[in-house]
Amino acid sequence: MDQIVTAHDLRRRFGEGDAAVDALDGVTVSFERGRFSAIMGPSGSGKSTLMHILAGLDRPTSGTVELDGVDITALDDGDLTKLRRDKLGFIFQFFNLIPVLTAEENIVLPLSIAGRKPDEEWVEQLIETVGLGDRRTHRPSELSGGQQQRVAVARALVSRPAVVFADEPTGNLDSTSSGEVLHLLRRSVDEFGQSVVMVTHDPEAASYADRLLILRDGQVVHDCSAGSAEEVIELMKSVA
Amino acid sequence: MTKVAIRGIAQRKLRAFVTVLAILLGVAFIAGSYVLTDTINRSFDDLFDEAYQGTDVAISSSTTGQSDGGDLPPFSERYVNVVRRVPGVNKAAGGIFSLGRFVDAQGEPLSNSFAPEFVSSVAPEPFETLTYTEGRPPRTAQEASIDESTADREDLGIGDTLRIAGQAGVKPYRIVGLQRLGNTSSGGSSTAQLTLPEAQAITDKRGELDGISVQAAPGVSPRVLRQRIDRVLPPRLVVETGTEAAARQAQDIKDDLSFFRVVLLVFGGVALLVGSFLIFNIFSITVAQRIREFGMLRTLGASRRQILGGTVLEALALGLLGAGLGVPAGIGFASALNAIFKSFGIDLPNTGTVIESRTIIVALVVGIFVTLASALVPAVRATRVSPMAALREAELPESRTRGRIFTAFAVLLFAIGIGMTCLGLFGGTDDANAAAGLVGGGAVATLFGVSMFSPRLVRPLASVCGWPLEKLRGLTGRLARENTVRKPGRTAVTAGALMIGLAVVVFVTTFAAGISASVGNAIDRNFQGDLVLQNTDGFSTISPGAGREAARTPGVQTVSSLSFAGGEVGAKDVRVSAVDPRSVADVLSLDWEQGSPETLSSLRNDQTVIDDAWAKNNDIDVGDRIPVRTPLERLVPYTVVGTVKDNADLLGNLVVTEEQLRREFGVRSPSLTFVKLEPGANADAVQDRIKEAVKQRYGTVDTLNQQELKDNQEEQINQLVAFFYVLLALAIVISLLGIVTTLALSIHERTRELGLLRAVGMSRRQVRTLVRYESVITALIGAILGTVLGVIFAALVSRPLADEGFELAYPVGTLIVLLLLAALAGVLAAIWPARRAAKLDVLEALAYE
Ligand SMILES: Nc1ncnc2c1ncn2[C@@H]1O[C@H](COP(=O)(O)OP(=O)(O)OP(=O)(O)O)[C@@H](O)[C@H]1O
Ligand SMILES: [Mg+2]
Repeated sequence: MDQIVTAHDLRRRFGEGDAAVDALDGVTVSFERGRFSAIMGPSGSGKSTLMHILAGLDRPTSGTVELDGVDITALDDGDLTKLRRDKLGFIFQFFNLIPVLTAEENIVLPLSIAGRKPDEEWVEQLIETVGLGDRRTHRPSELSGGQQQRVAVARALVSRPAVVFADEPTGNLDSTSSGEVLHLLRRSVDEFGQSVVMVTHDPEAASYADRLLILRDGQVVHDCSAGSAEEVIELMKSVA
Repeated sequence: MTKVAIRGIAQRKLRAFVTVLAILLGVAFIAGSYVLTDTINRSFDDLFDEAYQGTDVAISSSTTGQSDGGDLPPFSERYVNVVRRVPGVNKAAGGIFSLGRFVDAQGEPLSNSFAPEFVSSVAPEPFETLTYTEGRPPRTAQEASIDESTADREDLGIGDTLRIAGQAGVKPYRIVGLQRLGNTSSGGSSTAQLTLPEAQAITDKRGELDGISVQAAPGVSPRVLRQRIDRVLPPRLVVETGTEAAARQAQDIKDDLSFFRVVLLVFGGVALLVGSFLIFNIFSITVAQRIREFGMLRTLGASRRQILGGTVLEALALGLLGAGLGVPAGIGFASALNAIFKSFGIDLPNTGTVIESRTIIVALVVGIFVTLASALVPAVRATRVSPMAALREAELPESRTRGRIFTAFAVLLFAIGIGMTCLGLFGGTDDANAAAGLVGGGAVATLFGVSMFSPRLVRPLASVCGWPLEKLRGLTGRLARENTVRKPGRTAVTAGALMIGLAVVVFVTTFAAGISASVGNAIDRNFQGDLVLQNTDGFSTISPGAGREAARTPGVQTVSSLSFAGGEVGAKDVRVSAVDPRSVADVLSLDWEQGSPETLSSLRNDQTVIDDAWAKNNDIDVGDRIPVRTPLERLVPYTVVGTVKDNADLLGNLVVTEEQLRREFGVRSPSLTFVKLEPGANADAVQDRIKEAVKQRYGTVDTLNQQELKDNQEEQINQLVAFFYVLLALAIVISLLGIVTTLALSIHERTRELGLLRAVGMSRRQVRTLVRYESVITALIGAILGTVLGVIFAALVSRPLADEGFELAYPVGTLIVLLLLAALAGVLAAIWPARRAAKLDVLEALAYE
């Protein structure tokens, strides 16, 4: 199958000497286009580090990352900026939105920054999909946490990126809001053929994914298709 | 955690540094003003002490009506013999000490500085005050000596030629000596020495003297001798002991300088005021950022006072440091000021830096007070928040700057400020100092009122300034505008600092434009002639010979001069002008209130035409007789035959005949000589011919046509304006420092947001643009407020002058340029914060708390 992100033998070391920490200790992994992948693992296992390196936000100490056919480990800041505009969508755990912009402006933010005209139809469809039709002129402070995260999802999708990276997108939400956000991500994969990579602690969240990757101490310890939440809990108990 | 702590310290370091810098600069200005003026005062004391060494009694002309300086009328040299016959006089010698000008072969002044140049006569021992460092004193009519510093500056040496332009014309001399006054490094002025007869000749004072120096016989005290001499001399001659004369002349200069000191202190005050805005903002921001820390301390049992005390102590320490460093910096600043004056052609004497304890005390007190006052409000505000709220909010709620009471107070303050200003301007106070105090205090109150109200103005003004950026640059413009209105209070204070400086700049600019326009109009209205001869310095007298030369030039129909003198009516100084009744109608046209041009054409020697405003203020009517005390100490009555509206203040209070001025006031040289051409004469050609004839023979005389005269006046005004600009530069720099700091601190607060923007595709360049636009919008808000206030104040202050013909002109072009410059300043202020913001690592910024 067609791979959207391929990482080869990634290592990432923080600090030096005795205090050195190997956050990633030889990770080779690839993610397929048009699929929803989840990364789990205990705290400190290197999930965020892996995602940051895959997304070009951080550089590996050694190893390579190929994103949509481009080796991104060698890119400079200007090219990385272009890459983020064209190929990447981000959803963070919190503080996803610019407080002075309205919901709709936040959604089209990546396009505005790139100086591109938004595809009206696509934006409308997104706003409908995330269910914020009546909230489009509200500022983030006037939205609930779940609504804010849904805006973030729509923003991540607006530029039709090659891949969306989400780092604990539901970490701050109650179960209802979590469900809405995860459902949206699922739909983006099923209906728009979006590729999504999500880091999570929540087995429930992982159960929305097609595939589950488990990290421990900077290494991939398990790679399989994701099952139900119960199965994920069991799996985690056994490997982590 | 250590990372956070280190960042915190780094950030507080910036705050500490900027606070200290702001206070330091303001205090340095204040201390420097004192040091400079004290130094100059002391130098003049030394200078005059030096000059009167060896002189027991000095005789000079009365200074009646001469409060504005200039040459005093000379007196006959026969008085030397009168003095010599007084018992107890050992030696007496007359001397010349007159203004002159050193010129080049073309008749142009050697240096274009304002520093006066003097012609003095060689004095016999023990009166000689000059020390020869090279060569010898002049002995013949063709020889001269010159002071070392001028020789240095103009690269002159023994054997070279020095051309001196005196009232009698230009004459070349061979330099035979270099001298200086005692140990004084530089008197700030230049002196050429000639033999007495030659000095009398070149200054057109043959048979006359400017002063007599007397040495007492052994055993005769100067005081006793002074009394004896005074008894035999007419009242127009002032007799003083050498010490008295030195003290009086030094005091005269000190009085002139005291105004100058006030001007400097006002500008220093402006700089400090701007600095206080900056400090207020810095403390507001950092206190707000530490609100959580305060909350935690409170829950741990710290009292409100303890927390307040901590912040106040910090402010105190910073203020002390800034003020403490400001004093030595002030000494450096004094030399910088001195250099500025020099570059404007004002060479001030310096015999050693004087640091009075007053300077140090004032500087310290003012510096510490300003820091404390500016830091106290934010500190108090921060400690008012309840501990739990502080822990929860993590951020200080935007101050109550939008509360009703606050707004009402701001409006009230504004109203009081304007009220005070109007009272000072229109209240009819006779005391000029009190009036100036009211106007100044009113201006400060108004500025504070506007600053306090301005958070409400930030949003609309940001919309106006941000609109073009948003249209042009889309998102970055939009975000920049939104960022400026996020914390309107903060933006308002930052912009307010710039507002103050700009308000003063605009005030000065508008006012100067008004003066230029008024002078221009007055020239249009009053000036009937075609050409004007005046001194190149714009105010000194010119040789009467220049007018005679012009009259001989083919194509000239009439030549008529205007001369000025001082006098006293009652106990008050008046300014007297003189015209030649026969020809004045050809060159001047006046705005008659009572009388007509014929009144002036037929003016007799015992008659006068007076200024209408002056007449009204003093209840003088046509037909009244006014006794005028002249510099020759005569009381001469004049009958008022007419009044004129003297809009340009060209004529002073009274107009008399030229003959009267010569006979009764001792003034022989005109200040302005007007030339009317024959009908059909080629104006340019005649002007060139006069120029040619006059310049060569008299030097320092400009021949100007109407337009050139206007340009000339405007140029002088502009030079003064430029001088004010330089003094204001520091205040502007401090306010820009405020923009830099506020931006840096705001960006710091928004680190995560910048990380996010970068993550979704914003380039470094766009981040820089964003910060730059925010800065530009803030600067423009300040500039717009400052411009409006400056214009309002110029309009207000010029109201009382309207009666005297002042016409307000709005220098729209200049104002637009100022706005553009403010925007440019915003760009400059943004350079460093923008670079910092762009350099942020995306991941670190995102992880930043
Ligand atoms: N900037 C950094 N400097 C030093 N060490 C770091 C840095 N970032 C991460 N680490 C270390 O790398 C290891 C992996 O961190 P990472 O954030 O990837 O873990 P994670 O799996 O995302 O954990 P969590 O579930 O808590 O988010 C940890 O031991 C962490 O302490
Ligand atoms: Mg993580």
